[in-house]
Amino acid sequence: MSEPNAVRTPAVSLPLRAPALTEIFRALLEADFTVQLRNNRALLLSFALPLVVLFALFASKFYIALGDPQFRVASVLTLGMASIAILGYAMTVARDREKGVFQRLRVTPAPTWSIMTSRLVVQVAAILAMALVVLVAADLFKGVSLTAEAYLLTFICVIFSSALFLGVGQALAGLVRSADTLNAVGRFAYLPLFALGLFGQSTIFGTTFELISRWSPGGTVETLLTGAMNPSSWKSDTWLALAVCAAYSVVFAGIGIRWFQWGAR
Amino acid sequence: MTGLALQVSDLRVSYGPKRAVDGVSLDISEGEIFGLLGPNGAGKTSTLSAIEGLLKPTSGSILIRQVDARAHPVLAKALIGVQLQSTSFQSELKISEIVKLYAGLYGVPLTKPAILDRLAEIHLADEASMRFSQLSGGQQKRLALLIATIHDPPLVLLDEPTSGLDPQARRQLWDRIERIRKSGRSILLTTHSMEEAQSVCDRVAIMDYGKILTVDTPAGLIEKHKDDPNVLAVARGQVTLEDVFIGLTGRELRE
Repeated sequence: MSEPNAVRTPAVSLPLRAPALTEIFRALLEADFTVQLRNNRALLLSFALPLVVLFALFASKFYIALGDPQFRVASVLTLGMASIAILGYAMTVARDREKGVFQRLRVTPAPTWSIMTSRLVVQVAAILAMALVVLVAADLFKGVSLTAEAYLLTFICVIFSSALFLGVGQALAGLVRSADTLNAVGRFAYLPLFALGLFGQSTIFGTTFELISRWSPGGTVETLLTGAMNPSSWKSDTWLALAVCAAYSVVFAGIGIRWFQWGAR
Repeated sequence: MTGLALQVSDLRVSYGPKRAVDGVSLDISEGEIFGLLGPNGAGKTSTLSAIEGLLKPTSGSILIRQVDARAHPVLAKALIGVQLQSTSFQSELKISEIVKLYAGLYGVPLTKPAILDRLAEIHLADEASMRFSQLSGGQQKRLALLIATIHDPPLVLLDEPTSGLDPQARRQLWDRIERIRKSGRSILLTTHSMEEAQSVCDRVAIMDYGKILTVDTPAGLIEKHKDDPNVLAVARGQVTLEDVFIGLTGRELRE
């Protein structure tokens, strides 16, 4: 054992600089994309579930009552976004928080906002990939073809709408600490957030229900995406849906940021 | 005169009305291994968490190599390496990917061969493609220590680094800690093991109820407190560091 306080010459080269933000982001994004691609549940929620529902919504004449083909494709996109954000993103955040993954990352020079931003970027990329697969499948197998302008507008609106659902996911992860509880709450919240919107173009349950359905988070996104898929029919309701979508995003993201805890205790 | 790797002055941390750290001050010199001892809830981990930037102190200052950790948290974090009490990484990542991630977060670009070299140093090259949860407890601790020092930080903070390890793994980790010190770095560690404190630490502080009760070398602490009536009351024969610890912090169980 050496003497206490012994004088020693440091043999190490001291990193007297903070790493650049680009270096931090590159490392985080690479890891987060790898995690997303290796996560079977995330892949299932991103691609398999929306495709199954797409084929189901076009398989029976019963579903024609829900709305026109664009609306049904918009419903599938909404389902995909809700699944990725609520059952995928929020669950992963809660699980990693419980395991202490975030605390380990937070003692590195990575700013806390960069840790979450990297994850959100990966989720938006997953949502865009899902949207591409669904739109191509709808075109190839169900004849719902879009113009180039409609594709572009739809992708822009998908990015915009993903903020709403990722905001919901963040809010759930902020309000519910335990991963197990969040799993249960997420499944419960998933229904009103997505399924309610399915009846936004249908009066089969009455006009009041239709109104509630249309301006629910899912219904708002479906109205927005239906308008985006058919730009010539973009009307005042679509603009209103855009504004409501932005308002929902701000509220949910605000709740998520305000109540989010990095540690499980 | 050697420089200071860490200067903590009058640090206070509170959880609501409860004060977990109450005016802690300590200095750690370059190349020194400093141990924080204390019963459960004494404030050791809270002190470390404040230095690591996980907890916001209510008052006090933290200088890491003269860098104010509260004013420049990113630079301060680049100067420290941290091994938390329990470490966990994303379960989908392989060991080599975990090393790459954390090297990247410190701005240290590592090629694949370089990562394997680092893993070989801790005898984990064969486990490079495994997941963290597939490693044994000793292997997990070795990996956690490698990641804590991946960027050659001048100060390494270790929170109960050997808890839950068998004697062989513990001795191996002590050797690694000693090698880290020999490379010129300073280490602040918390431990419940008096044996560890005596074997590894140059100086030791005993903490309780958020305050530092005494600081000295392990031998110095025994010498300083060997005639204390509380210490003599618990000693069984020759006074040991554990007798000093129990004499100063009491026999009652802590949560």
